[in-house]
Amino acid sequence: MKVTGIKVTQQSHPLSRRMGEARLPAGRLTESCCIMELMTDAGLTGIAIGSEGVRAHIGELVKDVLVGADPRGVRGLWRRMLDARSAHRHGRYLHEAIALLDVALWDLKSKADDQPLWKTLGGARPKANAYASGVDLALSDEELSAWYVATAHDYGLRGGKLQVGLDPDSDLRRLGLMHAALTQATADPVLMIDADECWSPKEAIGRTREIEKRFDLTWVEGASRSWDFPGLKQVSNAIRAAVCVGEGFTTCGEFLPHFHHRSADVIQIDIGAIGITGALQVADSAFGYELPVTLSAAPGNIHAHLSSVMPYFMSLEVIDPVPAARFYTSDVRIEQGWAIAGNAPGNGLVVDARALTRTATRAKASR
Amino acid sequence: MKITGYKVEPYLMKMDRLVGDANLPSGVEMLPGSILWLETDENVSGISLGYGGGIESLFGAIEGADPREVAALWIRMNDVLHKGGNEGAASAALSAIDTALWDLKAKLADEPLWRMLGATEGRVKAYASGLDYCLSDEELFAFYRRMAELGIDSGKLKVGLDLKADLRRLGIMRDALSIASARPGLMIDSNEYWSPKQAVRYIRQIEEHFDLIWVEEPARRWDYDGLRLVSQQVSAAVASGENLHSLSDIYPLIANHSVDVINVWTGQSGVTGLMQIAHMADAHGLQVSMMNAQANYMAQIAAALPNHNMMEVVDPGREHCLKWDSRIEDGFIVLGDAAGFGIEIDEAKLKALQANPPSGRGKFPFPRREGAGRYIVPPAPGEVPWRSGR
Repeated sequence: MKVTGIKVTQQSHPLSRRMGEARLPAGRLTESCCIMELMTDAGLTGIAIGSEGVRAHIGELVKDVLVGADPRGVRGLWRRMLDARSAHRHGRYLHEAIALLDVALWDLKSKADDQPLWKTLGGARPKANAYASGVDLALSDEELSAWYVATAHDYGLRGGKLQVGLDPDSDLRRLGLMHAALTQATADPVLMIDADECWSPKEAIGRTREIEKRFDLTWVEGASRSWDFPGLKQVSNAIRAAVCVGEGFTTCGEFLPHFHHRSADVIQIDIGAIGITGALQVADSAFGYELPVTLSAAPGNIHAHLSSVMPYFMSLEVIDPVPAARFYTSDVRIEQGWAIAGNAPGNGLVVDARALTRTATRAKASR
Repeated sequence: MKITGYKVEPYLMKMDRLVGDANLPSGVEMLPGSILWLETDENVSGISLGYGGGIESLFGAIEGADPREVAALWIRMNDVLHKGGNEGAASAALSAIDTALWDLKAKLADEPLWRMLGATEGRVKAYASGLDYCLSDEELFAFYRRMAELGIDSGKLKVGLDLKADLRRLGIMRDALSIASARPGLMIDSNEYWSPKQAVRYIRQIEEHFDLIWVEEPARRWDYDGLRLVSQQVSAAVASGENLHSLSDIYPLIANHSVDVINVWTGQSGVTGLMQIAHMADAHGLQVSMMNAQANYMAQIAAALPNHNMMEVVDPGREHCLKWDSRIEDGFIVLGDAAGFGIEIDEAKLKALQANPPSGRGKFPFPRREGAGRYIVPPAPGEVPWRSGR
């Protein structure tokens, strides 16, 4: 089996709600993304969905590294893609492009194996502990309550992550609202906060300690800048909650200072940034340090496939229990607080070609 | 698809030659072997080579499970071992089962394991390793020349008991390898015979004459302070890890910057366990090197590791009842397309070996030599077939 080319379709679609964080408090209502269809001579197509910024890199990467290669050699191809672009350090979209191609290659590998991705990876019982993440700073109190009530009631999600950081009093009030909403699913909701890196370490300590007088927090994410390992270590030493680090990290090396200095208590892995191959490597490293692993949200919640092969898997983030976009479906369902991957071969993402063509903002096929 | 049963067949081999290191420089020629078959309800079985018993203690954790779910089964077995720990005989059993499960998973997909694991090509750079303290200077040259004729351009010499003789023999190894490279890669291995400071003194004297890629086990396996001390005081990389059996065993060496290269093999909690080690090492910028194996079968895994440098090839003759699908070409182990590890067992030959066990000198593994870690006891007259340098 050989890769023959790729079709990249750019899409814009309405979000399920207004999404905002400390650095974008007004929020946004639409999202642009790229749908990648990696084609092979065996008639199988590998699917991945990611941000629109990757488009610039995809075509060249496929042409330079992937065309003619057997997608089953995905681990080696991930390395080859990184090596082929090793001079382009810290190119965010470049790394995302490599990550998404890696996701598409794993999709192909498991389709060639005629197995769901979780099984090709060696996993079992694909039932992953999930939590709700509202990306909710732009929601009114009523909208906030309604969303967490719905996720708790309809999907049984027992944990929630609130966007905080700009207004301590509102943060406390809204944590109370999220907590109350989640009691629909459990008497003891799991509470997390994300300050989107808007605090200094000392602000993070002050704000978190104030919150901890009233709420028991499982982790604080975005407590300070993601590269500030001494600052994050300082935060971890001063608060009860775990410090969660790693969202958007694009290489294994970015985790190294946090491993070495123990400045992260929970390792967050984002397959859209580091790919599945990279995610598996980081998860093994985290296991070496006995650090729990949580997975950042992924389109269609396909990160559920990875949970059972990660020895210290803790939880995964769910932003939308069902994809908001109409042009694809997923074989992962959220049920009673768990993300459950189905038995369809590959990662279970299915692109609706008609819906895609109807709504595509711009389409381009390259070989 | 279910795991239904297993069988273990121990046997004894006589190798083609002696192998020895600083702990037993006179060498041994007998090697105990063992083969595990994991059986399924679909007439396919997975095999692993080289471990002993204890399978019954863990088999309950995988009986009836789908072998394709191997990574999750690894977690289950590791959890079963929680109280006593993934150590000793339990660890060997976990290693054997996990390795056989990966063989099964690849066989069920009708792929060689290197492809199942996601390697781009079934090709692994090799280095020659004579386990050669028991070889005469002539035999030493002949071994490394034979390897060089296969294109292998690097070699690892057993050292530790006699500095001047070691220097002479390093020269012999380099000369033998020089037909493969103008600058052969040189490594040494003292198998934990030295204390850290003995190692520093000894290695720095060698480095006045030779550029070494790595020195292996220059201090005890768990001594992360001592290994780091050696690494900081010599030019060569420090390699270790072959006698540790899990990621948790190796974690202190990685976290404390104690080693530069980690020797990996399936005895480190199976294919799953050794990949965990390689991944953690890679995140820390460390290389891994695959240990030697019967028919070089572990090259199947090495091909898929992101940070693998080269794999040890000993070739002492351990393939009595094996058929395999790989060859050495231009200095690389080249793997074929046979499914799984590509190993087939000749059961008639195995039965014959079991019925008439061979006899010979000594038996692997080596004990620890007198003086180890404190003072050097050079070979006694007649203990080795080479001339002392003193």
